[in-house]
Amino acid sequence: MRRAFDLRGFLAVLYKEVKHVTRDPVTLALALALPVVQLLLFGYAINTKVQHIGSAYLDEDRGALSVRALDALRASDQFDLVYRATSRAQLRALIVAGRVRVAFDIAPNFTADVRSGRPGEIQVLIDGSDSSVAQQAFAASTAIGSALSAALGPGTRGASVAPTLVDVRPRMLFNPSLRSANFLVPGLIGVIMQVITIFLMSLSIVGERERGTLEQLLVTPIGPLGLMLGKIVPYACIGFVDFLFVLGAMRWIFGVPIAGSLPLLLVLGAGFLMAALGLGLWVSAVARTQVQAMLMTFALTMPSILLSGFFFERDLMPPVMQWVGYLIPLTYFLEILRGIVLRGAGISALWPSVTAMMALGTGLVIFASIRFARSTS
Amino acid sequence: MSGAAAIVTEGLTKRYGAHTVVRDLSFAVERGSIFGFLGPNGSGKSTTIKMLCGLVRPSGGAGSVNGFDVEREGERVRRAIGYMSQSFSLYGDLTVDENLEFYGRAYALDPARRERRKGEVGALTGIAGFSRQPAATLSGGWKQRLALACALLHEPRVLFLDEPTAGIDPVARRDLWDLLYRLAEGGVTLFVTTHYMDEAERCSRVGYIYDGELIALGSLDELRRLPGVEPSGTVRYRVETEEVMAAFAAARPLPYVRDATIFGRELHVIVAGEVTPERLRADLGGEAAGIGEPVPSDASLEDVFVALTRGRAPK
Repeated sequence: MRRAFDLRGFLAVLYKEVKHVTRDPVTLALALALPVVQLLLFGYAINTKVQHIGSAYLDEDRGALSVRALDALRASDQFDLVYRATSRAQLRALIVAGRVRVAFDIAPNFTADVRSGRPGEIQVLIDGSDSSVAQQAFAASTAIGSALSAALGPGTRGASVAPTLVDVRPRMLFNPSLRSANFLVPGLIGVIMQVITIFLMSLSIVGERERGTLEQLLVTPIGPLGLMLGKIVPYACIGFVDFLFVLGAMRWIFGVPIAGSLPLLLVLGAGFLMAALGLGLWVSAVARTQVQAMLMTFALTMPSILLSGFFFERDLMPPVMQWVGYLIPLTYFLEILRGIVLRGAGISALWPSVTAMMALGTGLVIFASIRFARSTS
Repeated sequence: MSGAAAIVTEGLTKRYGAHTVVRDLSFAVERGSIFGFLGPNGSGKSTTIKMLCGLVRPSGGAGSVNGFDVEREGERVRRAIGYMSQSFSLYGDLTVDENLEFYGRAYALDPARRERRKGEVGALTGIAGFSRQPAATLSGGWKQRLALACALLHEPRVLFLDEPTAGIDPVARRDLWDLLYRLAEGGVTLFVTTHYMDEAERCSRVGYIYDGELIALGSLDELRRLPGVEPSGTVRYRVETEEVMAAFAAARPLPYVRDATIFGRELHVIVAGEVTPERLRADLGGEAAGIGEPVPSDASLEDVFVALTRGRAPK
């Protein structure tokens, strides 16, 4: 009769498995490092307290009290006044282009109104795309308004209720009902396209490497470049069809209308696919096995999701994380997606993101092609 | 380089870092011949093939295939050669016909020629009858025939076969070799690696590579006469016996025995020329111990390689 548990057999298997693991340091390193990296990313990136929201202001009053109001905003942790606008149109354009999430517009006779006991008006424009940021910006701006009312009101000692001297009027732009779907769904499109393309591309090439067919291909006159293109084109097509599907689902299932130009969105979506396929090709060049390719795809996807601004407002992240985010193509594509879909932004407002994404994508494809060609000889 | 030879190497060398995998390889393979390239695993056989196919860049020396330099004219080399690797390297999810179609396109054959060649290689290898079957469902021998068919589509002048018969049954092996002979008759040069001695003996010439160095090169007869194989003044005997291990143990200490090797139920012994078969039989234990009569014999290819490898091993 066989014993249910044989210690020596177990140790033999253990020995063999330890050998397997140590023979494959890449997989081991990924398996060990990934959870830590993710923990760090989540820990830093999830910051539900909204602070330092990039904001613009327009001081139409230029009086003593408007300066005090601006000082109060600057002193707050919630808002960073990073732009000074010179017109209402510019204020709005800054939000459409995604440079700021909040804009303060101090009415022309703010100082005079407050001095004469009438409520001075501060209009607050809030980008409603990201519902959680918008809600907190809403609450924070009204709180600062009340605090200003109390501070500026001179003759209210003893009064139980302070008169409203500063009238803060928040207004939601683009997503007035603050539906989180409007914010998350366009972002999800970018994430899905990236995952699908990297996965398909890398598994296909690495699968050939594993089966030995890659070698067979390389003795044909096809050559590495022909091979790469032959692999890229089908997956680019699949990725583009995916793009159309998810755009359709966004429009008709989630009910998120596309405010801007659809052709522009499609062209820039194709540009993003190029960057994603560049990543896929790079994974193909580096990974020796399909398991490695899968882990590498995972390793690329997590930071993309966490640092690109998909879930978490990038402005709220520590600077190091923001810098890492600049190296991720998805960061720029999300700007573009949300800009076009939610805010109706055109190329004139989005060109910094477009330029960065295309430059990053081109660089990735060139780098990955060289790496791939080298890996095949 | 020589116009008559299909493959020529001159001091071909491959180094990976400090490790030399192939050292100073020089040989020539005649057109329309079958060249057997032999050697233990890890001796540099596959690396040599990869250099000749333009997959691996040589670190030194030169090689040419069908008159094209493997380093500078990789593209033309690839068009002139067919390559069949030891592992089944076709697409299991594609049908036989789709695999052929793919390789036809890979070699940029125009549609008319593609169709014609698919018919020709299909008939030659007999794979045509399976054209709509997924390649993964073929048996080992048929998979190799399909691989050969794919490698032949573009009418290569030189065919590299890396252990083409590894893991297939003896009947399929024989059929495949019959095919290879027909190709050679048609003027195709074949460069074959194998571990099977009977296959090596079918080759026009063989080269034996050991630890990256070509230590023997020639026809079977030439190799048999190498000094390391048949030292002068010695005779090789085959001795049949039930108890090979006992006979082997008895042979090793005998002062006149130069070498002894077991082959199944036979002992191959090289002895000094003056020793008679009768004396050898008696010293091994005699008829009583089940020792058969020693028969003088030629060295088999296996004897040659055992002798050459032994001569090299303690360096």
